[in-house]
Amino acid sequence: MLLCCLVSSLVVTAQTKYKGKVIGSDDKLPIIGASVRIQGSTTGAVTDVNGEFTLTLSPGQTLVVSYIGYQSQEVKVGASTTLTVTLVAGSNALNEVVVTGYGSQRKKDITGSVAVVNVANLKSVPGGQASALLQGQAAGVTVINNGAPGGNSAVRVRGITSIGNTNPLYVIDGVQGNFNDVNANDIESIQVLKDAGSAAIYGVQGSNGVVVITTKKGKSGRATISYDAYYGSQKPLSNGFRMAGSQEYADAIQRSVGSVQYPGTGGAILKDYITPTAANEGDPGTNPATYNINSNQITKTNKVGTDWFHEVFKSAPRTFHNITASGGSDKSNYLMSVNYLNEQGTLLNTYLKRYAMRVNTNFAIGDHIRVGENAYLYHKDNPQITNQNEGNAISYTYRQPPVIPVYDIAGNFAGTKSQGLSNSSNPVAIQTRAGNNKGYNWTMQGNVFAEVDFLKHFTARTSIGGTFTNYYYYSFNPTSVENAEGNTNPNTFQENAGFSSTWIWTNSITYNQKFGKHDVKVFLGEEAKNYNQRGLRAGRSNYTVATTPVYVDLDTGSPSGQSNQNIDINYLRLYSLFGKLDYAYNDRYLLSGTLRRDGASVFSPDHRYGTFYSVTAGWRISQESFLKNVSWLNDFKLRGGYGELGSISNIEKFNATNLFAANPQNSYYDINGVGNAATLGIYRSQIGNLLTSWETDKVTNVGFDATILNNKLEISFELYKKDITGLLFKPDLADPQGGANPAYVNGGNISNKGIDFSLTYHGNVGSDFKFDLTGNITSYKSRVVSLPDGKKYYDFTSDGSTRIGAFTRFQPGQPMGEFYGYVVERLFRDAADVTGSPTQESAAPGFFKYKDVNNDGKITPDDRTFFGNPNPNFTYSFTLNATYKNFDANAFFYGSQGNKNINYVKYWTDFPQVFKGGVTKGILANSWTPTNQNATIPVLTAAANFSNTAVFNSYYMESGSYFRLKNLTLGYSIPKSQIKQIGVSKLRVYLQGSNLFTITKYKGLDPEIQPSNLDKNTSFGIDFGSYPANQKVYLIGVQATF
Amino acid sequence: MKKIQLKLIIPLCLLLICAVYACKKSFLDKPALGQIDPALLSNKAGVESLLIGAYSELDGYGGKGAGQSAAPSNWMFGSITGGDAYKGSDPSDGANDQTPVATFNLPASNSFIVGKYASLYDGVQRANDVLRGIPNAKDLTADDIKRISGEARFLRAYFFFELRRNFFMVPYVDETIELKDAGSVKNDKDIYPMIEADFKFAMDNLPETQPQRGRANKYAAMAYLAKVYMAQAKYGTETKNLLTTLMTSGKTAGGQKYALNDHFQQNFSPEAGQKNSAESVFAVQASVNDGSLGNNSNQGDNLNFPYNGGPGGCCGFFNPSQWLANSYKTDATTGLPLLDDFNSGSPVTDVTYTGTLDPRIDITIGRKGIPYLDWGPHPGDAWIRNPGSDGHFSPKKNVYSKSEVGTNTSTENTWTSALSTSNNVNLIRYSDIILWAAECEVETGSLATAMSLVNQVRTRAGIQSGWVYLNSPYDASKSIYTVQTTPAANYKVGLYTVFPDQAYARKAVRFERKIELAMEGHRFFDLQRWGSAYQAAEINAFFASDKSIDITLKDAHFTQNQDEYRPIPQAQIDISNSKGPIVLKQNPGY
Repeated sequence: MLLCCLVSSLVVTAQTKYKGKVIGSDDKLPIIGASVRIQGSTTGAVTDVNGEFTLTLSPGQTLVVSYIGYQSQEVKVGASTTLTVTLVAGSNALNEVVVTGYGSQRKKDITGSVAVVNVANLKSVPGGQASALLQGQAAGVTVINNGAPGGNSAVRVRGITSIGNTNPLYVIDGVQGNFNDVNANDIESIQVLKDAGSAAIYGVQGSNGVVVITTKKGKSGRATISYDAYYGSQKPLSNGFRMAGSQEYADAIQRSVGSVQYPGTGGAILKDYITPTAANEGDPGTNPATYNINSNQITKTNKVGTDWFHEVFKSAPRTFHNITASGGSDKSNYLMSVNYLNEQGTLLNTYLKRYAMRVNTNFAIGDHIRVGENAYLYHKDNPQITNQNEGNAISYTYRQPPVIPVYDIAGNFAGTKSQGLSNSSNPVAIQTRAGNNKGYNWTMQGNVFAEVDFLKHFTARTSIGGTFTNYYYYSFNPTSVENAEGNTNPNTFQENAGFSSTWIWTNSITYNQKFGKHDVKVFLGEEAKNYNQRGLRAGRSNYTVATTPVYVDLDTGSPSGQSNQNIDINYLRLYSLFGKLDYAYNDRYLLSGTLRRDGASVFSPDHRYGTFYSVTAGWRISQESFLKNVSWLNDFKLRGGYGELGSISNIEKFNATNLFAANPQNSYYDINGVGNAATLGIYRSQIGNLLTSWETDKVTNVGFDATILNNKLEISFELYKKDITGLLFKPDLADPQGGANPAYVNGGNISNKGIDFSLTYHGNVGSDFKFDLTGNITSYKSRVVSLPDGKKYYDFTSDGSTRIGAFTRFQPGQPMGEFYGYVVERLFRDAADVTGSPTQESAAPGFFKYKDVNNDGKITPDDRTFFGNPNPNFTYSFTLNATYKNFDANAFFYGSQGNKNINYVKYWTDFPQVFKGGVTKGILANSWTPTNQNATIPVLTAAANFSNTAVFNSYYMESGSYFRLKNLTLGYSIPKSQIKQIGVSKLRVYLQGSNLFTITKYKGLDPEIQPSNLDKNTSFGIDFGSYPANQKVYLIGVQATF
Repeated sequence: MKKIQLKLIIPLCLLLICAVYACKKSFLDKPALGQIDPALLSNKAGVESLLIGAYSELDGYGGKGAGQSAAPSNWMFGSITGGDAYKGSDPSDGANDQTPVATFNLPASNSFIVGKYASLYDGVQRANDVLRGIPNAKDLTADDIKRISGEARFLRAYFFFELRRNFFMVPYVDETIELKDAGSVKNDKDIYPMIEADFKFAMDNLPETQPQRGRANKYAAMAYLAKVYMAQAKYGTETKNLLTTLMTSGKTAGGQKYALNDHFQQNFSPEAGQKNSAESVFAVQASVNDGSLGNNSNQGDNLNFPYNGGPGGCCGFFNPSQWLANSYKTDATTGLPLLDDFNSGSPVTDVTYTGTLDPRIDITIGRKGIPYLDWGPHPGDAWIRNPGSDGHFSPKKNVYSKSEVGTNTSTENTWTSALSTSNNVNLIRYSDIILWAAECEVETGSLATAMSLVNQVRTRAGIQSGWVYLNSPYDASKSIYTVQTTPAANYKVGLYTVFPDQAYARKAVRFERKIELAMEGHRFFDLQRWGSAYQAAEINAFFASDKSIDITLKDAHFTQNQDEYRPIPQAQIDISNSKGPIVLKQNPGY
């Protein structure tokens, strides 16, 4: 075989220079940037600004000419040295070449599961985080966003593949990298590799799916400069948390726990002041002359009620500017872009500012050697807030009582530091004080590569790339004297810095040759990856001279009580060998196989290597003679495959070994009894496991792709089954085994089954009105199949700050993340109802009546049951793109159906006895009283026990389904004739609105709720007051090309 | 053309081959950075460091199960459950974890018992690691081995004693049991004999004094052995001999002869010059501003400060009960406690209360109008988080003075910095030893001796320079209120003149323990060793009396033959029994 190749490649034929021109069938205008390739080789050219190319050819060769939006065409080279190729317009994407794992393939040849993202649609959603934009763009990909500028997204490709991190692998221009901060404007194409057939080539890193991103390259022809910009504003949600005003709040407190602040009977009396406690005008301590921030902070009662939500959520502007310069010849091309993004968050002092630059260049040295680089640099300023936490400003907007004004009489922040107010903090104070905190990040990512074509059918490639990140953040935390809690803590300052670096060196050889009807492609590669991370943190406190940012640093704080730690020491090495074989017979029967062997430093030497493979096949039935004449069927391909993938996303850096550690917090002790110095001690930190190895995904995928009705309708349908075996679990050690961290063990399986369905229709009405309609449906079922030996279940506590225990039980036979607890049947109506019901601790009228699941006549922990699934039945999207003459429109709808949310906010707002925080509007009318026995909210009481607030139950569950207009854009392109004379080749202006409506029954801010920890998939769909992702954004934008 | 190709192909292939070789095995061998290979510990320095690591688990922070539940002060498991105090805070706060402990409505899954159990076993395991390390450290001298193994076994016995008295039947694991098998040990034996053996070993092998005063010495081990005997109601000669030796020749690790401090308050001072006094038999050393972000402080008590304006500013837990406050009433003529009638008559309130009181009340309980160290007079409800469930008093023994802020409280960058103190946790104070001796005398010896022992403690309480005075600044360096003109209350403390009979003597000694050691985590365990019926009667009487003040006590009830001990955490039973055979059995009643 090899000999064959060598022989055939040595055949040399006479070569002549040919000139050609490519035009479009629609407007007969030259096509700039079309790819012209000699079939069976990688030699080719790109058409210039006049649609022309020059190539050295010999008769008999076949040219493949392709351009996005046109059908690829094959042209036999004849004797005439001038060629004119007319490409037929049409979105028949079958011949489109898409980038897949370590290479590219024609869409029609793909046998694995590869979702091609419509990048134009993706870019239509404004937002700084590229991964957030993936939402609804590819069947099989579930994305859950939040509204924090720079906030990460939860991305799940085909179900939930781990109890830990399920982020897909992002491969940008062939190198693993950080996708989130990639400038969306730089993106040329995105493919999502969903099954083993497409992703097994990534072996142990492929199990969460692989997103392959290609950035734009320069096109040959004259230099073009394009400018993109928008300006707009994001609007806070108009309703907020729907909190009660002061009178209703005070009445609710009075009817439950009571507070010295609101005296009276049968209705609370709002006094003039909350500090001094419940004082009226003229009372002692209310004279402004006696004001003292520490001992007599005089604060008036806000008798109407402070709308805390809208005190911290304000309209926020966003700006984006991008300039791209690109150009090239048939020997080289370049693209350079610079951009600036300033996305202000609606929550005070949250923002993402990013300054980025990309330089992509490619050079051909002779006909057979190409070198190039892709470089992306950015700097961002993006202080983070901890989302989904009872201690952040968002949660304080419902926890801070409305009677408290934002400011006291002296203009300082008012707070809870008076009797009987609550343990909340002033959210305006928190966010205002955070204004000087910074979170910086410098990142450089990209690669340099060289490719050599040799022996006619071979291409060798080497690439060295990686990501280098420096992060840097600091925060000053003043003493919040106005709060009930922590008002005597010293002020503190903390500064953190660190870096991480990843380098990846990839070498590969590709062989591609056609033998008659046989098309063979062989790919072999080798890759080494080294990841290294280190950081440090230092803190000081007791700043006395000044607390301004110009003064506060590590040197100016008190030397006593200083702290310094290493943080985030992490590393990983991987070494891999891999190969892929693609075989096609007669464009009809497709077969593909991959094999990858990975070695990872995290495992013991005996269990460090894993082999992953896949086999896929496709049958383009439409090519068969019996279907050739079916005119409505343009293309129909059946495909399927099986393979295995791995994951080490969740393993720790040194799993195999027994370890000891020394740490001031864990093992130091003041053995000298001096009170301010501890002696170094050592403790057993880990019980290693030599046997631990990969998580292995076994994926079966079947589906079909069809193009029908004269290429107007494209359908893709897939069924898959994805079994994750050897799931990495932290075993529960018995306490007598001590406190050392147990190594991960492989135990437990998850099964995912699902359907991906997508449909695209290209239509037109007359020649002026054209539209594309795209729909996606993603449906998965993730089920726990088994757990480590002997383990019946895991109860997972959310990383949000739950005060009522675990929400989720992980048990074989149940969906991932299903809610587990007591089922509330209703409220006890009266005393007779209590006596007539099963025995229940602290049962009383107006309290929860729990369901006696096992019918034993008493409510015990055995009556807890599974009652809700946070996974949607399906998520779906529709996109409509339409153009009419110079007008264009895009509408993007997204929805999630059938998922349940836990609205944990109700724990705070429906029970006044819970820390006396704010209460929900309508609580007086809707809570149980002897005369309102069918109430929706339990009786207002001081008691906090099993029958109301102490345990998790179904009261908190609500439907999380929603349907949303994510985006609507209307654009107008100024006719070329009017702008040509000013040197502009294209000018488009547009108006855009995002999140214009959401239809949902969910009562919280936003039914779209991220897990509180994006690196865990044990507990999700729980709302602690998430930064809402559904706020309206209005933009005006311009795109110009010169 | 072909030449060019070869020129390129050859180096490229070579490059690939090199890469393949270079990236072989050694590339993937990456040692664990920032961690210690066990081999590095096979020497004296390693073993000594492991020993410090075991000591560091005394504070219940920094290991498995760390948290307020694991506090060595036993504020929840010893004081609140014994009626010294209410849980405090808002009723909803801790409704899921703390209230069930306080009200004896404990499911076996309760997170507070989960934490306590885990933390104690982490300590056991760390002590075992020291003992495992000793044979490998060839540079240890015979004396080193005696001392180190003595300290390690002392610590192990301490952790097991805590397990035994909280969780009753628990699996016993020593250094001979491999880690992988430690989860398969049954809880079918009473472990008191093993605890006694460890403390005896420690007593026989530890030196009388230690170069560092935080270490256990011979007498600390002896005192703990006595404590273990007392817990088993062994009042005989063996116990008495230990207590006699302790009272005649016992000394602290620092070499001070055991004695009662003149000023009761000194026992509760975080000040370096005040703590580790002659009265401190064994204490958990607490330190701040040592780089541990508060984790080596008295962190287990970090909720137990006044709310709003006072020291700490949070979190308003652990409010002394009315029941306890009333216990400090004394007879106006004799100055003796009202052993039977303390809870009748008008309740003890604030500074306006005019009845006679034992002066220890105002060292133990923060009352309105009484100087609260140097924080000024306690303002009353302004420092109480929720008077409707917390009563009107604040804890005081664990609190620091204003002058100590920043030196004896943390200034490190944590949320709890004002709540992290260097206040040691007294595990055994000398007055504890004296009162055990009195108890032994009551049960098996001379009532007169018992009385004189009780009177020793009462005499100290009567030392007027140790009282609280109105309008008097508190001097943290001496643990006294320095301008001593007007006592803060009508203090009267007198000495017993006669113990007429054993029943009276028993009552007197037990009552003395209640008021001397209140809020220090002892009460529940004292009641426990005095018998189930007695314990039930006392605790239920407290509930009956105080549920009108603390509404969370509404459903509280102590059930005999169940609530003397806590349940073994359900998850532990599940883990240990998951392989088939029954390893752990639940305690009676759960």
